[in-house]
Amino acid sequence: MSGTETRPDRGQSRERGHGPGVGRDLGVGHSAPRPDGTLKVTGEFAYSSDLYLADMVWGATLRGPHPSARIRSVDVGPALAMPGVLAALTCEDVPGELFYGLDRRDQPVLAADRVRYQGEPVAIVAADHPERARRAAAAIVVDYEVTEAVTDPRRAAFDPSCPAVHDGGNVVRHQPVRVGGDFTAPVVVTGEYEVGMQDQAFLGPESGLAVPAEDGGVDLFVATQWLHVDRDQIAPCLGLPPELVRLTLAGVGGAFGAREDLSMQVHACMLALRTGRPVKMVYGRQESFFGHVHRHPARMRYEHGADLDGRLRYVRAEILLDGGAYCSSTPAVVGNAASLGVGPYEVPNVWIDAYGVYTNNPPCGAMRGFGAVQACFAYESQMDRLAEACGLSPVEVRVRNAVSQGSRLATGQVIDSPAPLAGMLRELAAMPLPPEPSRTAGPVAVPPPAGPARAAAATSVPDPAGVRAPGAAATPDLLDLPGGVAQTTHGEGVRRGVGYGVGIKNICFSEGFDDHSTARVRVELLGGEPHVLVRTAAAEVGQGLVTVQEQIARTELGVERVTVAQADTTVGSAGSTSASRQSYVTGGAVRAACRAVRERLAVLRANGETLAETLERAGAVEETRVYRHRPTFPMDPVTGQGDSHAQLALCVHRAVVDVDVELGLVKVVELAAVQDVGRVLNPLALEGQIHGGSAQGLGLALMEEVQVVDGRVLNPSFTDYLIPTILDMPPMRVSVLANPDPHAPYGLRGAGEPPTLSSTPAVAAAVRAATGLRLPRVPIRPHDIAMDGSRYGNWAGDRSL
Amino acid sequence: MRPFTYERPADVRSAVAAAAGRPDAAYLGGGTNLVDLMRLGVATPRTLVDVTRISSRAIEETGGGLLIGAGVRNGDLAADPLVRRAQPLLARAVLEGASGQIRNMATVAGNLLQRTRCPYFQDVTKPCNKRLPGSGCPARTGDHRNLAILGHSEHCVATHPSDMAVALAALDALVHVEGPGGARTVPMPGLHRLPGDEPDRDTVLAPGELITAVEVPHLPFAARSRYRKVRDRASFAFAVVSVAAALDVAGGVVRDCRIALGGVAHAPWRAEAAEAALRGAAATPEEFARAADAELARSSPLPRNAFKAPLLRNVLVRTLTDLAEPAGFAESEPVETP
Ligand SMILES: Cc1cc2nc3c(=O)[nH]c(=O)nc-3n(C[C@H](O)[C@H](O)[C@H](O)COP(=O)(O)OP(=O)(O)OC[C@H]3O[C@@H](n4cnc5c(N)ncnc54)[C@H](O)[C@@H]3O)c2cc1C
Ligand code: SF4
Repeated sequence: MSGTETRPDRGQSRERGHGPGVGRDLGVGHSAPRPDGTLKVTGEFAYSSDLYLADMVWGATLRGPHPSARIRSVDVGPALAMPGVLAALTCEDVPGELFYGLDRRDQPVLAADRVRYQGEPVAIVAADHPERARRAAAAIVVDYEVTEAVTDPRRAAFDPSCPAVHDGGNVVRHQPVRVGGDFTAPVVVTGEYEVGMQDQAFLGPESGLAVPAEDGGVDLFVATQWLHVDRDQIAPCLGLPPELVRLTLAGVGGAFGAREDLSMQVHACMLALRTGRPVKMVYGRQESFFGHVHRHPARMRYEHGADLDGRLRYVRAEILLDGGAYCSSTPAVVGNAASLGVGPYEVPNVWIDAYGVYTNNPPCGAMRGFGAVQACFAYESQMDRLAEACGLSPVEVRVRNAVSQGSRLATGQVIDSPAPLAGMLRELAAMPLPPEPSRTAGPVAVPPPAGPARAAAATSVPDPAGVRAPGAAATPDLLDLPGGVAQTTHGEGVRRGVGYGVGIKNICFSEGFDDHSTARVRVELLGGEPHVLVRTAAAEVGQGLVTVQEQIARTELGVERVTVAQADTTVGSAGSTSASRQSYVTGGAVRAACRAVRERLAVLRANGETLAETLERAGAVEETRVYRHRPTFPMDPVTGQGDSHAQLALCVHRAVVDVDVELGLVKVVELAAVQDVGRVLNPLALEGQIHGGSAQGLGLALMEEVQVVDGRVLNPSFTDYLIPTILDMPPMRVSVLANPDPHAPYGLRGAGEPPTLSSTPAVAAAVRAATGLRLPRVPIRPHDIAMDGSRYGNWAGDRSL
Repeated sequence: MRPFTYERPADVRSAVAAAAGRPDAAYLGGGTNLVDLMRLGVATPRTLVDVTRISSRAIEETGGGLLIGAGVRNGDLAADPLVRRAQPLLARAVLEGASGQIRNMATVAGNLLQRTRCPYFQDVTKPCNKRLPGSGCPARTGDHRNLAILGHSEHCVATHPSDMAVALAALDALVHVEGPGGARTVPMPGLHRLPGDEPDRDTVLAPGELITAVEVPHLPFAARSRYRKVRDRASFAFAVVSVAAALDVAGGVVRDCRIALGGVAHAPWRAEAAEAALRGAAATPEEFARAADAELARSSPLPRNAFKAPLLRNVLVRTLTDLAEPAGFAESEPVETP
């Protein structure tokens, strides 16, 4: 049912392996199998939570229950008195710097005089059994004085009487974008939109093993996204030079941004150094919800002005992102929301204010799509409203305003690689639609609604009331209808809607960051055969980077046997596994190191010699290379202008939904996507990224939300935080374009994030089309749809207390 | 988790004796709810009395109905041919709950006695009258989107989460109980209490009473019955609202009916007002809507769950309309879902 179509006419794979025939089917452009694939599906893969050493002990964390409180005292005595407890540490035991952080060092290793969010670590314990450690942590006595919690981001941003969560005020970053000055237009549409707090919902909880070393340092085996930035935050806190803190990547059970910040890293190392024993820490699921950042919830106001023909004249927007208690990557998230805040459209006049604020809500930071997701939901909702106002189709209004190569973003940056958005939209719109919903007869005729009829702007399914197919015995495929196997409908009350979404995402780190990666490549003879060893510090988090590195080595060196070493800090930084950047940057580094090896080999190689013979005679060849993408520049703090992004990527989605408008149930019937990836490195892995990103966007559209009331999380479990199941995810139709980016290795364009952006607004638009409702907030849940009115009339009572 | 002792008595009598007079003893079924709550610190039993090996796992036909052992796993119950034939709504309700893995562990007794999903109840850092009597009910002013619209009190607005219990309440099931004071049966809509001023008590069972079986009397017209559940995703989610219904229609007139509602009250809610309105009424959508309104007249939704009233009305009318169809939809076999 699902399939990916890649256009071979657009720069698809061409083998470049120079040993004829060697490595041909496993190099760049092929669906080389993942070395970790079989292990993962058979349950044999060792995740960080599986780490084990014979003499290890267990760490546990005591977390503050209050969103905001002063700490009067902490007494670890009761914990230390318990059998099996080896250490109980507080902020007073932190050997070095007391704070860490990705952008600002504002997050205490352990809370000192106050806690700023529910679940903030206050003390840590090591004991000889995990349950003993947990009980000992619970036995620590903390005297809190609860203080007023700042939980309204608008108040945090704009109310001068609001308490400051940190000294220096609650606005972490305000980034304006100013272009032009004419904010008048014949057609104006305005809207306020909200995006709930999404969780990355990775399966492998935060975990790792810290092993004290004889040299006074520590070896940490941990699931993370960026070994070096972890190390550079951990070492100062431990009071150790970086070379004494050695990190090795342990098996990562998903990341999606949630492992970019530290969690248990410093704690495990502190306990290991204090006890002299290896210390393992594994968060439980509930603790994990408090142990990592989430996606920033957003409140957004947009105003779009356009000519009567739908061409945009201006966009004004205020984007308010709740960063929670600590900075994390909020500044960069704000930068993305601001610079990409109008979407991939040509807009002559722009006035954007994007804010990231401190509150006492859960800290928010990196998550797939990183600031671009929230804005995308708002600007795409606006584009649909504009289409309606101008009497255009959703596709046409987007086509008329679409950027292309040579267009300027709101930041003034010129898109200098292919950006065929209009064509992508046309292709998407031309894809066949799935068949109309399967239905048997509806029940007997029902009187029309007593209440106001709903607008039904759907590609509508006729209301089945009164239609009765005689002897209708055929059962529709249950999974095809809203409510699915619960058989809540046989087609009655179901309306179809189609919606479109477009997204633009920056690839790689932006705004002047020195974004680089390092690769060491060694070619040697093993058992008489040439063998390549690739070593980087790049984190494989499930996206398939190890496979891509192998493919690049095969293609560049023509050697089939390639091993990618477990990532560690014995080689230079690879940067983060985020911003869809690793194929680009670490891929670029591996390619550069391979080419350096190849050049050396070319010099060493005697005429007519095989590679094996050269290696036999000359020995192993090893080269290390650092790769940087082209420089980017900060955004002007007043005007937001600047070439802030290294690469831009587009994805477009069409969602087809059936909505049971009486029960509020949505069935996404199909998601179709067109994405331009520049160059396909691994078709199967790419398809996985597009499906997975689309599913995560669908989750945000329809169900995923960390519910926070008064700074407290209400649903910290996978029983109550819902993510799409296989029954919620429809088949996909995917078309991949490969228009190379001349600036990037192999012409590739990062692919992991863009589908996460555009699927959310596409699904929301489709639900709006089916229901005629405004639905300004995601996730859209049954209560947003089934509030009132139906074929059975309204329930008259309004007995709200 | 608080330390506890674990006992595995050899028979029902010693199980009851093991728990008798020990208010902090708890029976252990599949553990899918109790152990979760122990991990969260919500349940803190000192003694776990494992009854899985001594609880009957049989489903037998008695003269008057089906006798379902308390230890029958939810998955086995849903798959049982007797149940599927005689009480399709029961099989369906069980299948609509939880996931395949959980249903394979969960027992009939444990399912009946699972605790509310109210978020405040599950978080020991928050007040909650059900967990800590007298501490208050933050749900009333906080998040009660999933909570009760019927029969709640100022002390508690929780809902009972079981799907199976809704079907059993519609079917007038009898719960067989063995206690320190001997054996007794408790009729189903009456097993679960309304919160009143004692929300810490979910049921009328006395401490130490052990459920041994559930008896479901024959109800011939239940062979055509429905369980309809609205949830936030396609599978593996608790009910937002649900309806269990069986309808006996002759000559276009409702002779008899059984209706119970889930996700709306502290107990599976037997819709007596709707049933009374329907008996003798024409089997038409208009009458079904009137019956729904009769039931909802007793409701008092909270600000954030007011949507449940019209939603429930829509599900109820649709379910009854569906059942009233003379030919009706051939409802497919219950489908096992992830
Ligand atoms: C992720 C998840 C999703 C779920 N979704 C749903 C859903 O959609 N619908 C639904 O209905 N349920 C759902 N459930 C709940 C599930 O049905 C219950 O957890 C299960 O039925 C409990 O049965 P158990 O045997 O494991 O009970 P246990 O956890 O062993 O016990 C539960 C309670 O019953 C008591 N008890 C057990 N046996 C006896 C006995 N013989 N006599 C007296 N007391 C006894 C225990 O002391 C305890 O208080 C879900 C659960 C989870 C974890
Ligand atoms: S509704 Fe009941 S369970 Fe929930 S907080 Fe109130 S008292 Fe506790």
